[in-house]
Amino acid sequence: MNAALNHPILRRALSIPPSYFVFAMLLFVLWVARPHMLNLNIMGIFIRQIVPLGILVLGQLLVMRVRSIDLSGGGVILLVNYFISSGLFPGASLTFFIAIGLATGTAIGLFNGYMVARRRVSAVIVTLAVSIVLLGFVQFLSSGKPPGDVPAMFGEIYNTRWGPLPTPVLFWFALTGLMMIFLSRTVFGRYVASVGESAEAAHFAGVPVERTVILAHTLAGFIAAIAALVQTASIAVGSVRVGLDLPILAVAATILGGVVFGRGEGGVLGPFFGALSFALLFVVMTVFGIDEPGKLIAQGLIILLAAIFYGLRSGNAN
Amino acid sequence: MINLIEMSNISKSFGGSRAVDGVSLELLPGTVHALMGENGAGKSTLMKILAGVHQPDSGQIFKNGHRISFNSPKKALEFGISTVFQELSLLANLTIAENMFLGREPLTRFGAVDYAGMNAQTADALAQLGLTLDPEALVSELSIAERQFVEIAHGIKADASIFILDEPTAALNAADVDVLNKHIRRLRDEGKAIVYISHRMEEIFEICDTVTVLKDGRRVDTRPVSEMSPASLIAMMVGRTLDDLFPPRATETGSVVVDVKHFKIDARSKPFSLHVSSGEIVALAGLEGQGQQKFLRSLIGKFRPFSGTVTIKGELLEMPVSETSGIRRLHAAGVGFVPEDRKEEGLFLGLSIADNIAISLVSERGEMSIARRYRDVINTTMASMRIKAEDASAPVSSLSGGNQQKVLLGRYLAANIDVLLIEEPTRGVDIGAKSEIYRLLREFAENGGAVLVLSRETIELIGLCDRLYVIHDNTVVAEMPAGNASEHIILEAALSA
Repeated sequence: MNAALNHPILRRALSIPPSYFVFAMLLFVLWVARPHMLNLNIMGIFIRQIVPLGILVLGQLLVMRVRSIDLSGGGVILLVNYFISSGLFPGASLTFFIAIGLATGTAIGLFNGYMVARRRVSAVIVTLAVSIVLLGFVQFLSSGKPPGDVPAMFGEIYNTRWGPLPTPVLFWFALTGLMMIFLSRTVFGRYVASVGESAEAAHFAGVPVERTVILAHTLAGFIAAIAALVQTASIAVGSVRVGLDLPILAVAATILGGVVFGRGEGGVLGPFFGALSFALLFVVMTVFGIDEPGKLIAQGLIILLAAIFYGLRSGNAN
Repeated sequence: MINLIEMSNISKSFGGSRAVDGVSLELLPGTVHALMGENGAGKSTLMKILAGVHQPDSGQIFKNGHRISFNSPKKALEFGISTVFQELSLLANLTIAENMFLGREPLTRFGAVDYAGMNAQTADALAQLGLTLDPEALVSELSIAERQFVEIAHGIKADASIFILDEPTAALNAADVDVLNKHIRRLRDEGKAIVYISHRMEEIFEICDTVTVLKDGRRVDTRPVSEMSPASLIAMMVGRTLDDLFPPRATETGSVVVDVKHFKIDARSKPFSLHVSSGEIVALAGLEGQGQQKFLRSLIGKFRPFSGTVTIKGELLEMPVSETSGIRRLHAAGVGFVPEDRKEEGLFLGLSIADNIAISLVSERGEMSIARRYRDVINTTMASMRIKAEDASAPVSSLSGGNQQKVLLGRYLAANIDVLLIEEPTRGVDIGAKSEIYRLLREFAENGGAVLVLSRETIELIGLCDRLYVIHDNTVVAEMPAGNASEHIILEAALSA
């Protein structure tokens, strides 16, 4: 088994993000089964559904590249959703909601980063605990009942289109492009790459390792807040359950995208296609008439696949 | 007399370098056998082979004339070979008895661990050493000396006939050394064979019967200690000549750049002062682990010294240096620190040569600024250092050890650094790359740089440097111009301090 894994062709295949294969495979299945589905108008609608996931992935890949992880996205989404839909701020403007949402996410990200980098607490435990606290907090505020409606303006923006593509999808594409430029062109991007490769060597090379990890988490919190705004706009109502499965899906998409937990490799495009694969998966499942339970099972299997792949990769590297 | 253990023609290589080369060793019952040699002579490797940690590439081991082989310390213990390593191998949060029976716990009739039996047998073994420790005491509560006695008791309990003590006294004070020696004599009188590795001359002459000297992985000789004197022993350990690997030394030096005063590494060590001027290369010489690294690393905040003042280019360095920002602050002051462990602490193996060199320039700037590519700097650095690679985008992991080391050094030469603190400038590097690295360091000094270097290879320090400080027991015991130094003089200065 190990000898086989060291074969050059297989090694090269393993260095391509698996999300490309998954995406191509799903595309092929769809092309065979329902070729007429492959048009921008229809795909746009399906892709729009996973835009919150896709945005969350941008933050996840950032923290995973510095060998951390962020599972608090679910809590951020809930809290921001609650702020907007509860009527806590009657008559507030769109700008106000966006500002308070982004500020909330950033603050939570900063807290995560501080705990992980400075206090050296396990990232999984910190961010999961934060998410649970936020979930309880929102349930306490809303006394268990789902809050009210989201201001109509959110839904109106959400439903606009630019040509064949919905605005949220374009927004996601733009953010992805921005993240690519950000990571490849700034000093911070170099820091992220070096900390991901070896935190020890980065420290000796004069990279501020702690600060890099804190900043990565803070940005991930900020990005989770953007995802929360889009998610809130998409469901148009308040909810105490929305978005709880998104962080683990984001982790799976990031792993499928070749950013391996604990090994800071991979770029932005791999995870991007990881998120797109989830969109295609839902299309394929719908096409074959598989209901919600079946989709859950498939989702779980993909996460499992990502975890197995991660084991294969890191085992192979040593 | 019939031998207890015979190691015959043992060889062992790591990577390309031969750590042990055709060494034979006989251990007789009722003797204490000293194993001596300079850093890297192969003593520890040879003993790790006997202890089952490493397997020899070739050669055989016989016990009482029967060939034996084993592949783990546990198996070696079953053959009666017990080892007390430099790095202690007891688990701190288990009790003494639990440590002694680790992996071989006796069971009661019902399948539970038989603690009563374990504790009784442990108390027995401890009593044989004349120790009154409680078998249920946690190892973390014991002193270092007591931990070593527990390890020896471990061997006694397993009925070992060969005890390997690898620098057992390195961490002990004089009173504990006496106690340890008493135990060693007792074991000897019971007919056990003891291998004793130590750098302390007086111990060798006090308790050892036979001495074997290793050099560069080969055996120089085995002699009765009674025939030797400290001087003749040191002469056996050294005796290599300098070759023309090294560039000429500095002819003139500038002003003092690094000034260290009243520096105490720990509360008990003697204070020392040292300085480095621009244009010169200064070495911290001496036997391994005598405080050279602790001193160098306290300048970057990786070690907390007891006290002292450090002035760099006239600016007082705040002590203790912060661990998180120490390296960045030194970089800003023009001081580079080249760590010893190229693969773990130095390089980003998966990243390109360009990334590895440019990181020192990049890290001078704020996070949100645009990262320049520094193509010119990288190309000039690669050319002037003669780094052999296809181009700057090749991953560093694809380079040879020598070229990797040059990339690491290039990172600092490319940045605006004028003081270099270097650990092990040429570890695991072939001879050609070594001489190139020496040339580069000399050029750096000739252009007004100051270099402070430590190395396990004394020869290297003598050839490369202008001035040497001999470090022993966490303090400077001698200072000399490298031109007058020899391995012999340095060893004598260290050991007679």
